[in-house]
Amino acid sequence: MILLVILLIPFITGLLLLPVRNAATVKQLALASSLVNFLATLSLVFTFPVSGYSVSWINSLGVNFALGYDGISLIMLLLTSLLFPFIFMAGLKREQENTNYLYALILFTQSALIGVFLAQNAFLFYIFWELTLIPLYFILLLWGGDGRRNVTFKFFIYTLTGSLFLLFGIIYLYSLTPGVHTTDFSAFSQLNIPVNTQVWLFWVLFIAFAIKMPVFPFHTWQPSTYTMAPTQGVMILAGVMTKMGIYGALRFLFPIIPAGVLYWQNTVIILSLIGVVYASVIAFRQTNLKTLIAFSSMAHISLMVAAMFVLNYYALQGLLFQVLSHGVTIIALFYIVMLIEEKTGTLELPQMGGIKLLAPNMAILFLLVVLGSIALPLTAGFVGEFLIITGLFQQSIWFAAIGGITMVLGAIYMLYAYQRVMLGDKKVGFGNITDLKPVDYIVLIPLITIILVLGIYPQPVFNLVEASVNTMQNLLVPVADVLPALPL
Amino acid sequence: MVEQIPNINLAWLVPAFPLLGFLVTGLANKRLKHNQAGIIASAMVLLSFLVSLVLFFVLRASGQNEATVTLFNWISIGGMNIPFAFLIDHLSLTMMLIITGVGALIHIYSIGYMHDDGRVNSFFAQMNLFTFSMLLLVMGANYLVLFIGWEGVGLCSYLLIGFWFKNPAYNYAARKAFVMNRIGDLGFILGIIVLFFTFKTVTFSEIFSQAAGFQAGAPVITLITLLLLVGAVGKSAQIPLFTWLPDAMAGPTPVSALIHAATMVTAGIYMIARSSILYNLAPFTLNIIIVIGLATAIIAALIGLKQNDIKKVLAYSTVSQLGYMFLALGLGAYSAGVFHVTTHAFFKALLFLGAGSVIHAMGGEQDIRKMGGLRKKMPLTYFTFLAATLAISGIPPFSGFFSKDLILSKAFEHSIILYILALGGALITCFYMFRLLYLVFFGEQRLAGAHPHESPKVMTIPLIILSVLSVFGGFLNIPSLFNGDSKFITFLQTAVVSKASEELSHSTEIGLILGSLLLLGLVIFFAYRTFVSKSIIPAKDEEPMPFFSKLISNKFYIDEMYTAVFEKPFGFLSDFFYNKVENTVLDPAVDEIGVTTARVGALLRKLQQGNMSFYLFAMVAGILLFIIFILIV
Repeated sequence: MILLVILLIPFITGLLLLPVRNAATVKQLALASSLVNFLATLSLVFTFPVSGYSVSWINSLGVNFALGYDGISLIMLLLTSLLFPFIFMAGLKREQENTNYLYALILFTQSALIGVFLAQNAFLFYIFWELTLIPLYFILLLWGGDGRRNVTFKFFIYTLTGSLFLLFGIIYLYSLTPGVHTTDFSAFSQLNIPVNTQVWLFWVLFIAFAIKMPVFPFHTWQPSTYTMAPTQGVMILAGVMTKMGIYGALRFLFPIIPAGVLYWQNTVIILSLIGVVYASVIAFRQTNLKTLIAFSSMAHISLMVAAMFVLNYYALQGLLFQVLSHGVTIIALFYIVMLIEEKTGTLELPQMGGIKLLAPNMAILFLLVVLGSIALPLTAGFVGEFLIITGLFQQSIWFAAIGGITMVLGAIYMLYAYQRVMLGDKKVGFGNITDLKPVDYIVLIPLITIILVLGIYPQPVFNLVEASVNTMQNLLVPVADVLPALPL
Repeated sequence: MVEQIPNINLAWLVPAFPLLGFLVTGLANKRLKHNQAGIIASAMVLLSFLVSLVLFFVLRASGQNEATVTLFNWISIGGMNIPFAFLIDHLSLTMMLIITGVGALIHIYSIGYMHDDGRVNSFFAQMNLFTFSMLLLVMGANYLVLFIGWEGVGLCSYLLIGFWFKNPAYNYAARKAFVMNRIGDLGFILGIIVLFFTFKTVTFSEIFSQAAGFQAGAPVITLITLLLLVGAVGKSAQIPLFTWLPDAMAGPTPVSALIHAATMVTAGIYMIARSSILYNLAPFTLNIIIVIGLATAIIAALIGLKQNDIKKVLAYSTVSQLGYMFLALGLGAYSAGVFHVTTHAFFKALLFLGAGSVIHAMGGEQDIRKMGGLRKKMPLTYFTFLAATLAISGIPPFSGFFSKDLILSKAFEHSIILYILALGGALITCFYMFRLLYLVFFGEQRLAGAHPHESPKVMTIPLIILSVLSVFGGFLNIPSLFNGDSKFITFLQTAVVSKASEELSHSTEIGLILGSLLLLGLVIFFAYRTFVSKSIIPAKDEEPMPFFSKLISNKFYIDEMYTAVFEKPFGFLSDFFYNKVENTVLDPAVDEIGVTTARVGALLRKLQQGNMSFYLFAMVAGILLFIIFILIV
């Protein structure tokens, strides 16, 4: 029952907000609901495992409205419910148009995301998966920046195309189920699909997730979308949506078509590692701060995808840890980007400089987030990336070496960006820049505290996902023998 | 099970004090009055020093050689157990005493040196953070805790090099240092991962006890040692990752003394000495270390000959001395390397602080061609600087003599060519150091309008203490040649396993020492004749020079080479990926697919009337229907 409550809190709040005209009230209610949601989700950690929720739904199709979760879903749920309060706080004390609509849409997105992570069958998963897209589409289209029409259109079409493949894949799997057809994940995972089928089915299912994460070369919607998106939109996209792609891949690929995964394993790892290097190298010469961080996010996510396909114990632990760590870090980064844009009126690096002279506290907090992003020890990023590189190493020392390059390249472009914004002498016209306001501390200090606490004491997160990781890592073992040679 | 040593758990206090200092001076930055931060920071490091001393005696009284203090389990998953633990043994105690002892002196000195800086409180916060990280580095009981400190000191180095952040060149130097260190760190972390998969642990004691099961020359051990070496090369500024250190002189001078001379840059030597058991199993890696160390020692010394910035001379001399320490490591004489770390910490910190005193007196001038005659104006600084110069040149009985002679004699045991090259480097060192001394303190004052004066007591007292250490520090390890019992080396034996080697006969050793002393004397005389008798001042930068001089004074064009080979192509690659691959190939290709889809979409678009309430209505209605559906069906 509590699962249903968690799912519905944001949605119902969103509905209630629609007629509210007072912007401040809207924001406070949204924030309050997200905090309640966070506490409810947190309660799952202490009562783990809670039995699922299921009512029969479309009997003719064999579809139940079934909610449930395991350690992997739990991490995703925690991330979502943890980040949304910050996403709402990012709007506090700021002028926004049509606040009630905007916040309702954000809350709808949250519900849909939670639905994705709770769904126990592919049909329900797909519905929520698509539902995330619709409110987000409007958030981007109506509250976005320059060029939002074209960019949003591209984003929409891009992800929708992926989804169509996914839908086809789900229907195909459905048709394979014996007896009364069903879309339950548990039934899918017992299908024993012929290896040759798995080989092509892999791409049908993977493409939607590959676009969402994104994996090279399916990423081209991402930089422009991130750059144009309003702060709260980009926070949802980078903080949570990317993880939805990861989650989907973990749910669909490994349990259902393990042979297909094993067949394409190295291909995807290599694509991801290309993405790591490619995005990091590109980030270095970006002049727009937001685009730079978009590419940096792509580099980090690509490393996580590589870890996912290595699928050994350390890689998975690292991946799930990094899900949290990356989410928190990227939200903090985009919050600071917003502050910088508010204060300077630009995002172009060549026009910035010397802000540390005027806003020393902002400089310190920015630096701390940057350090988390470049995985300095005692930040969460280090624990995650260390485990990921350890996992990659188990597959091949070269994978580890290339994945590890993020450590170097990340330092190059992030410190470059930090220097361009904060250091140097101050630019003319920046005279009236002020330091952080109380609300900024309320957002940034907790985020940074999480980054540090997870870096110093990561153990609770490991324990939370231990059981799921153990199940997951063995999925590929039985199929290792039946595999045809890869034509590479 | 080893018996728990009473009071050894105090070890956590050693890094805790500077951490506390960092938090207090950092958080209360604005509220602290001028100088208060400096006093707090210095007191914290001094307290750490006292606790380290207590630990020294506690360990000695216990009769044991080492103790592990575990604070909590950091990472503990599926066969990977990495506790947050400290190892207290003779090696870590030695380093702790150097870091906190020399560190405290440099902190105190900084109270005077940084007195007029507007951000002095931030300065001390960062210095304390550095001390904390450096202590973690040497106290860590496993490679990963060591790595925390390792990256932490890199961060502090970055912050302090770029302390005066208004200057873009300083920021660039800071970033260069961090990135070059990170390249090394990548090797290091991969090395740690190989270690983990080989030994199923990253804890020192567990690894070293298992290492006996490996043959000398085992490929996996060679791989591990090589990867760790990459980290050490970055941190300790060896070829090819040394060019960041001279640029790091952009930081305030006490930073150069503490981080870029006495402590951080010796971390690589510490780490290899700590891993001595592994390196003994990897003769191939040891040979590489010899080559790297010797090449760095000589090339940096050569560059030092033609530098005219007082701090740059000292920077190259640091690189060169680190090369000697590497040479010692490569020869398997790890303790000799650590001994040179110790004496070097004394005399190089002294040289930098002396240089700081000079710069302070000259109103910020760093060009030695503009100095001169300071001997009379600043006698205290002069005498302490002289002591350090004699020490670094290896003149007996100053401290550098004992440590350098130890390394030279090990080189002689290995091969005569090695000895000649190493001695050659030492002679060059002696020359450029006396060149520096003479140009700064002798002759006439050349900068018109400057009024040099002796520095205040808060700066000179640390100088005096360090000069005492520079003069007598060598007595820590008097070799049997002088009827000593090599106390320092013996002390380290419990923690560092040096490679066995034959002792030189006393007569050979006396011959070598007398020979080198004769040569050193000639070099000093030659330097005196050039720079004092003939008072030759090095040429201005723009004047034409012979080919070799030009090559040296341009630092062998290594920076230019790196720019051409790495920096420029990297920028080019970045542009190429973005402009060509991303925007000319990938993105249009996708758009092409998109356009086709768009035609289909165009039909659907007719539904859109731009009315937002309608969209919302449609959406909410849909969702509501959906829920009702659930409840009814």
